[in-house]
Amino acid sequence: MMLTLLVLLWTVSPGQADYEKANRLFTAKQFEAAFTAVDESLRRDPNLVPALTLKAKLAMAVNRFDVARQCLEHALTVDPKAPYAQFLYGLEAYLTNDLKEALPRFRKARELAPKDARAALYLGLTTESTGRADEAMRLYREAVQLEAVPQSDTWLPGARLLLLLGQLEECGTWLRRAVQLAPRSRDAHFELARLLLKQGDAGQSAGEGELALTLPGGATSDATVHYLLIRAWKQAGQSDRAAAHAAVMRAQESAR
Amino acid sequence: MLRIVCIILATAILPAAIRFEEIAAKSGLRFELKNGEAGGFHQIELTLGGVAVLDFDNDGCTDIFFTNGAAIPSLRKTDAKFSNRLFRNNCHLTFTDVTAKTGLAGQGYAMAAASADFDNDGFADLFVAGVKGNTLYRNLGNGRFAERPLPVPETPRWAVSAGWLDYDNDGWLDLFVSNYVEWDAAKEPRCGTSERQYYCHPNAYQGLPNQLFRNNHDGTFTDVSRASGIGALVGKGMGVAFADVDGDGFTDVFVANDSVRGLLFRNLGNGRFAEIALEAGVALRDDGHAIAGMGADLRDLDNDGRPDLVVSGILNDSFLLFRNLGGLNGFEDMAQRTGLLMSTRQLTGWSLGIFDFDNDGWKDIFFALAHLMQLDRYLGREAALPNRVYRNVQGRTLEEERTGLEGAALHRGAAFADFDNDGRVDVVVTAVNGPAKLLRNVTETGGAHWLAVRLRGTRANRQGLGAVVRVHLADGRDLYNHATTAVGYASASEPLVRFGLGSAAAAEWVEIRWPGGPVQRVAGVKADRVVEIVEAARP
Repeated sequence: MMLTLLVLLWTVSPGQADYEKANRLFTAKQFEAAFTAVDESLRRDPNLVPALTLKAKLAMAVNRFDVARQCLEHALTVDPKAPYAQFLYGLEAYLTNDLKEALPRFRKARELAPKDARAALYLGLTTESTGRADEAMRLYREAVQLEAVPQSDTWLPGARLLLLLGQLEECGTWLRRAVQLAPRSRDAHFELARLLLKQGDAGQSAGEGELALTLPGGATSDATVHYLLIRAWKQAGQSDRAAAHAAVMRAQESAR
Repeated sequence: MLRIVCIILATAILPAAIRFEEIAAKSGLRFELKNGEAGGFHQIELTLGGVAVLDFDNDGCTDIFFTNGAAIPSLRKTDAKFSNRLFRNNCHLTFTDVTAKTGLAGQGYAMAAASADFDNDGFADLFVAGVKGNTLYRNLGNGRFAERPLPVPETPRWAVSAGWLDYDNDGWLDLFVSNYVEWDAAKEPRCGTSERQYYCHPNAYQGLPNQLFRNNHDGTFTDVSRASGIGALVGKGMGVAFADVDGDGFTDVFVANDSVRGLLFRNLGNGRFAEIALEAGVALRDDGHAIAGMGADLRDLDNDGRPDLVVSGILNDSFLLFRNLGGLNGFEDMAQRTGLLMSTRQLTGWSLGIFDFDNDGWKDIFFALAHLMQLDRYLGREAALPNRVYRNVQGRTLEEERTGLEGAALHRGAAFADFDNDGRVDVVVTAVNGPAKLLRNVTETGGAHWLAVRLRGTRANRQGLGAVVRVHLADGRDLYNHATTAVGYASASEPLVRFGLGSAAAAEWVEIRWPGGPVQRVAGVKADRVVEIVEAARP
């Protein structure tokens, strides 16, 4: 008993308590306080890998990619096989559009955690950005298969690529799954509206688009939905409704 | 016997590849575009390179005018290497530099050129757009050009493209100027990482409205940007394209914008324009995102008599192709169905032109390509790219061809004309900090016929810009094109209206709808020639 306690005391990092505090603050979206706590954690233990990755995440959230990169490089020096640090290292390059760097970093993240859907998904996104659509699609398929708890957002990149490739039937399967997983996802309903418009079902497309507009957030802006609705309502023969959406877009443009 | 049949079938079925031969150096066309970069990552270094083609001396052979950069931050042409240059076509595929004789060396940081006969005297004039200063040159008809005054805005702007159109159909050409962003060398933002600087995204700069100048018929112009509605919208203007999009007899204007939505100005025919890109479906990409719009051209790709729209963008944008549905029905996105979407996704395009390079009766598309400088590291590949042409397969699909276009460079402007008068459309392309290319069209057209129409307006503007030409062939086909010199990005092409006729050795008739409405028909026009059609007097 005494020996176990001694081992624990010896293995628990002096920065662990502050790291856990920082993590709680990060989850609660109290980023400034989280930054302070994680810095304290790293002051106590500069080599604490979870604290380094958390600081990297915080830094990326405020566009301090240089700080994030330093943290992740340090983390990977301490533990070259830390899968999450490796994934974030890839993400840092991806978010700064450094595709050349992102590719090998995500590939290594996949090697370290072959069952991690995120690594497959982001390697797919990077691969798609470099023009290899077939390879990207293969990775998107792997990502959705790897996920223990399926997420709507993991299905969307593959659906978007299928739409670009004109594989509308399979795209429909992916999008319906995305909607099923997150019935209140604006992104999923918007993409479904795009598909329906391409398939010539303007009325249904407009319906999905109007629904998307009522749903919160996501990566889909109001303007992109309005633009779809202008075209959908116009094709559906309801020019007045198309004009209303155009007016909203113009008003938003003027306000900027 | 079987082998012969196979060869004959193959010859009949397989279309000839579009091929070019680069002949700038051997033809004496020695021009290097200099952007004046000196490590400051100034945005203007990225966007220059306009080129205009015009027959300034009316000898029947098309000449070439190159715009050029200047020193930064002075924006002065402090060295001869920054001179704009005019090359006279000697009519046997050689060129002579006549810049000094013609007085076109210029002074500031030039971006674009637009050529047309604005004073209806029979000689093509020049407008040079630039950073904080534009210059209008009148062709005096004696081998020299003279500067003419233009209304100057309170704050000098950065113009990227310009073009001539007769927006009010009064028989005199007006001037449209596409303005980009507010820029000052002393206030250039710093972008990139702490270790490495690169050129800023356009989001770092405030956009500008475009301008329209009405021709006063006396060599002067009035700024009607506000009165016409053109100046009411702020964009980040790049290439401009003109065509009568809705078939109402008035020329409409499309402006490609960088990272903000495109603008389609519908000419209402009363001196005003309504901006309708949202309603027409050409404002944004299919997913609702703005592309970094660069070049644009409006021409009829599917031979239905309606001008379609092509817009180039940057890496991962995919280029845009919209089919015109006619009237006020707007456009439909055809980039995916034609194959252009995925095949251009990894490209960055600047100028472009829709011309029938193989004279098969279907207009093809040429793109001047190059990724943005300094992004090499991030792309994992060179910024320099080879150009590309897409062959139009009967208005249904576009197939890429690269023969003779292999050389990679930082291409920018491109203008189109038949420099050797052989009936095949050639291309001149500029490249940042590199030599310009003259791409001679050497396509084996298999005897395909062609026709070029030189319009001469009498009531309409002298060059007939804005006129829609319809060629009717004996097999029942109708081909359409219109007269404009505005093309692609920052560039200007010949005013002739060209057609590939395929196997037809003549047109049954050629119909011209002159700006303002009068329709004139000329019967029995033989192919393989430049035919001049003079606007008939009204009854």
